[in-house]
Amino acid sequence: MGELGNSGLQDPAYMAQRIAACEQEIQKGIIGQREIIRQVMIAMLTGGNVLLEGMPGLGKTRLVSTIGSVFDLSFKRIQFTPDLMPSDVTGTNIIIKNERGSAFSFERGPIFANLILADEINRATPKTQSALLEAMQEHTVTVGNDSHALAEPFFVLATQNSIENEGTYPLPEAQLDRFMFKILVRFPSKEELKGIVTLTEGNQKPVIAKQMDSVGLLAARALVNQIPIAEAVMDYLLEVVMQTHETNPYIKEGASPRAAQALIRAARAKAFLEKRFNVSFQDVKEIAFPVLRHRILLSFDAISEGISEEDVIQKILERIGK
Amino acid sequence: MNQRAFLKIIQFYRLKLNMAGLLKKVVFALSIGAGVGILFQAIALVIPFYYVGICTIIILILSLLSAFVLAFIKRNNMEQTALVMDSFGFAERIVTAYGNLEKEGKLIELQRADAMKQLQIYRDKIRIVMWPSWKCLASCIGLLTVMTFLALMPSAMKERAQELHKIREEARNKTEEIEEILETLENLSQEQDLTLEQQAALQEMTENLQASQDEFQQVSTVEMMKAASQKLEYKYENAEEGLKALAQSLQNGANVSSITTESIQALSEKLQEMREMKLAQENSGQSGSPSKDGENGQSGNQNGQNKQSGNNDENGQSGNQNGQNGQSGEDGANSSNGQGDKGDGSGTGRGTGSSNTPHDYVSIPNDIADSENLTGNAVDHDASDYFHAQNGLSWEGTHMSYEAVIGSYEQNAYEGIAAGKYPSGMEEIIKEYFSNFNE
Repeated sequence: MGELGNSGLQDPAYMAQRIAACEQEIQKGIIGQREIIRQVMIAMLTGGNVLLEGMPGLGKTRLVSTIGSVFDLSFKRIQFTPDLMPSDVTGTNIIIKNERGSAFSFERGPIFANLILADEINRATPKTQSALLEAMQEHTVTVGNDSHALAEPFFVLATQNSIENEGTYPLPEAQLDRFMFKILVRFPSKEELKGIVTLTEGNQKPVIAKQMDSVGLLAARALVNQIPIAEAVMDYLLEVVMQTHETNPYIKEGASPRAAQALIRAARAKAFLEKRFNVSFQDVKEIAFPVLRHRILLSFDAISEGISEEDVIQKILERIGK
Repeated sequence: MNQRAFLKIIQFYRLKLNMAGLLKKVVFALSIGAGVGILFQAIALVIPFYYVGICTIIILILSLLSAFVLAFIKRNNMEQTALVMDSFGFAERIVTAYGNLEKEGKLIELQRADAMKQLQIYRDKIRIVMWPSWKCLASCIGLLTVMTFLALMPSAMKERAQELHKIREEARNKTEEIEEILETLENLSQEQDLTLEQQAALQEMTENLQASQDEFQQVSTVEMMKAASQKLEYKYENAEEGLKALAQSLQNGANVSSITTESIQALSEKLQEMREMKLAQENSGQSGSPSKDGENGQSGNQNGQNKQSGNNDENGQSGNQNGQNGQSGEDGANSSNGQGDKGDGSGTGRGTGSSNTPHDYVSIPNDIADSENLTGNAVDHDASDYFHAQNGLSWEGTHMSYEAVIGSYEQNAYEGIAAGKYPSGMEEIIKEYFSNFNE
């Protein structure tokens, strides 16, 4: 927000307005997919990472680049392939010859950016996938004995093809848990598709204006973390997570404590995006799906009966009520 | 809006919510209570249940009480009220603001201001439904109506329950009364001054009264009660006379303490009082009210008359009144033939009847129909006059199996019929009476 002025950074109402303006600006470059944009915005406001699952060509790369433009963030795209090596992601030490001789020097990989699009992450081997683990969780990269801090804000937006596709390596649970959201990108409606075609194939490209900078984004994050949550809402939220551990024939493994943390943060961010300074039950309900769907391991019964994660979460929410 | 006003609004809705909760619980509890009441009333239509009214009222009161207690226990606090208010579209603003009233911070203050502003604008959206649904109300009123209808509906079983209760009450009083006398008798029988014969006489009285006590504990019908009462009265009379005689003999004796004699006299007087009281009650009852189902009808002509007519309505109670009821003596004097206090005949009944009443004795008349001592006009079907006497085959009140005497009675009766000594209309009754014993 540098040149936009830092005077309002501590003003929640002003910051909420600015974030809303950012969201509107992103929607200029992305036709439809409002829900996805909203969820990605929530993840950005909370410092979470997002896993997008869906068909290729649904505008995922465009979304990330648009976000980069709106928030004035550096953006890198890594195409994951089976022969991609971890060092191709993180960077590596190379020998540099100079006047005094030769020495190892760390050559930064593409992960050193604010926004990372890890495209088709499940095409890479687990070894390479796990190279992202430290970066996603600690926001640091360790090569050899040296740790290198990543730029803040750091945000990974990974995409993956459906696991039914051949030549893919399903992400390990530990890595899945590090994604705040798993968002299912559905095929756009006919109207949306028409808008996409008109926008991309026309002569006039939309101009995406910068609305906020990294400082503003970090300030907004700090504000979001202060949003109060009522005791009853907190109980409800925790109950949702606990219910994934109750005896349920369709759940093999329930959500981790990280899920509860993600729920709290995401619910706060959602309320902030709606210019509200408190979390409602509805916030938790809506956010429960992207937060929990990749953190619940379905049982054989569920798979054999065609029960999806969404169905299980829906049942849990219905059972708790509110 | 300041914090005070904010709290006041929540407090207002809290009161409303709690009132609504109370009303709902009261209606629900009344429905449950009425349901149970209906069950009680239905039971009272099938089996005798005297306390059905009280039980129904108690159930209703208990259900109401439980509703109040439950409403108090489950009353909404301020936070719960705020949550309910939020459910009217406030997206948990109110509960969050209430929970953070004491806290400070820019965001918290902003949130509080937002909540208060929203509450001010959209307060009319909060509509607490005070009354339960019309279905609940209708079912409650319906159940209460059915219950009241059943409670007011007369039924034979309810009358039977009342009758049974009255009988039990009376039986209990009698049992207590006998118990008191038995205690006195027991104390008397332990006196060292009494001879063996006197002690035996007291023991016999005790046993007779104990038998009556047992009988009272088993009574379940008016007939049984009446039979038991009459027997008891008869036993009282006997006991009174026996005690008087005993007191007299003790007064004549040399080594008897005055205390013992006084005790016996006191007991005798007590028994007399009780009998007189009972007689007074009966007389007042008879003159005051018309007979019911013919049961009391014959009592109108009991003054010195045979009770055989009791057969008409009393289901085999014939003769169980033993022809006494205290009309000996004074009552006897009023009889038409103007005889003295001691007549010849005695009652003719025996203590069986056709009910299930256990009978422990038979009344033993000496003179039967063929006796010249009996008066009356056999031709015009007039009833015979008979009088209490103690000169029969056995003493009245003596425990004796009816088999021991029935043979001779029957023989005498049939001889009397053969000789044409009974009113013609009574011959069949006498035959039927004795044939009943043989069945």
